[in-house]
Amino acid sequence: MKEISDLILPDDVRYAEDHEWARPESEKVRVGIDDYAQDQLGDIVFVELPQVGDTLEKDEVFGTVESVKAVSELYMPIGGEILAVNTALEEFPELLNSDPYDDGWMIDVIPSDPDDWDALMTKDAYIEALKGGK
Amino acid sequence: MHEEIKNTPLHDWHLSHGANMAVFGGYDMPLWYPSGAKKEHLTVLTNAGIFDTSHMAVIMVTGTDAFELLQMCFTKDLNACVGKKKAPLKPGKCVYGAYLNERGELIDDAIVSQIEHNIYMIVVNAGMGGDVTRHMIDHAGLRDVETIDLTDKIGKIDIQGPMAAGILMNVLKEPEEVFDEMFYFTFKGHFDSTSTFAGTVSLTDGTPLLLSRTGYTGEFGFEIFVNPDHLIGTWEMILAAGKKYDLIPCGLAARDSLRAGALLPLSHQDIGPWPFVNHRWLFTLPYNDDGTDFTKKFIGAEALHNIEESEHTCAFAGYDLRKVSTHDPAAYVLDAAGNEIGTVLTCVSDMAIGRYGDRIYSISSPDKPEGFNPKGLCCGFVKVKPKLLPGQIVELKDNRRKIKVMIVDDIRPDRTARRPIKEMLKT
Repeated sequence: MKEISDLILPDDVRYAEDHEWARPESEKVRVGIDDYAQDQLGDIVFVELPQVGDTLEKDEVFGTVESVKAVSELYMPIGGEILAVNTALEEFPELLNSDPYDDGWMIDVIPSDPDDWDALMTKDAYIEALKGGK
Repeated sequence: MHEEIKNTPLHDWHLSHGANMAVFGGYDMPLWYPSGAKKEHLTVLTNAGIFDTSHMAVIMVTGTDAFELLQMCFTKDLNACVGKKKAPLKPGKCVYGAYLNERGELIDDAIVSQIEHNIYMIVVNAGMGGDVTRHMIDHAGLRDVETIDLTDKIGKIDIQGPMAAGILMNVLKEPEEVFDEMFYFTFKGHFDSTSTFAGTVSLTDGTPLLLSRTGYTGEFGFEIFVNPDHLIGTWEMILAAGKKYDLIPCGLAARDSLRAGALLPLSHQDIGPWPFVNHRWLFTLPYNDDGTDFTKKFIGAEALHNIEESEHTCAFAGYDLRKVSTHDPAAYVLDAAGNEIGTVLTCVSDMAIGRYGDRIYSISSPDKPEGFNPKGLCCGFVKVKPKLLPGQIVELKDNRRKIKVMIVDDIRPDRTARRPIKEMLKT
């Protein structure tokens, strides 16, 4: 298990309590799970993602990740319409373990409410939240 | 139940090697190491894995009435339990069975090993040493027998996989002699250096071991019992010798998926405090040849006779690796009409198997299709009201999905646990 100091937590994304990350990319926001989540889950062997075109609220379930040990739900860090899903994860779910912030991205969202973004945590706030949870 | 979380002597080793830890049976244990549970599971089929199982409890039963007490408390008939011919248990042999209460419900499952005349070693699950010891003492009466709970006083390491014997060849003193006639469910040596049996199996540095050809993965291998002072040294010595065989440390996640694929029950999950009938492990009960009666009297026997109706525990295998979550809340079993007929006890993914045509192959299957690269199948056990037959399809439902599974006789094919040691030494 990684210590908090060993976690890879990029500065260019914001974090949700449920360990999803969100990164603004012009009109859309890219979403995935962070290093803490993939480390806790262990080997991810299956991923279920929403349909392109679905509109989901913030905190609504957008899919599941299945590790060898358990099935976990994924929650929208921001509400909006699903613009794209990373279909590579169907064949290579292990990308979530090996490269959670780039090749292991999950969905692109067109945000419906700019306030959702402001409610997400910066890296420093997220680290504090992780420390509090330990 | 557990006032404090306990550690095995290898706890620091696990942490310093990046293990992802979780509490199991009252002990903080590795779930997986950085190589990941999937690789650990597959490596036990292709090479070998090493598991810290020191959380399990050992009980010693000694005295002129030890046999009699075990006959009363343990389900197997020790006079008729070894091999197809049902020979009596004798020194160097072990047998798998269960402890039941008067209501015929499971207290725990166990392996009983006869060390010598009037001396038996019992291995039970983590945290169960006290309960099983008390149960035996409560029923000992005036018998000449001593039951001692050695919880946390014995270190235990499992090395499992086709290369297990090859690896141990490098660390054992006189390994050829040790491995001679070392059949499935036999053991040699002793962990206690004062025992007359200590010395028949020892490491090259002289550490005495009790080496047993048993395990909880369905694969070829051994369980090693050692004084806890020598646990870390033994672990590191085996790992060093295993390096060239790609031996890796494995955690409880791989252990769970391996054992489920091998149709081995987890105590207090697949078998538990409910009537010990209508399940896949009836070989643990001392039935006579035509299955009409028991060959001995034992605690729980009468209750088992009188049970008229009880749920059935069956194995299943799915069609892909997707699972249902079995805890908080429970997962249910639905029949073809969508009626709830029972609950899911275990649901894991065996990552080494896949369906091809109408059967399941494993990566170890000698006749596997060319280019076979399985993604894994979900599998486990259900407990249901009606009797289900192999081939029947049911659905498992948790709070997020339904999956179709088939009731099966067997899950992971071509397991190696029973293969002759000579054959395994050639691999």
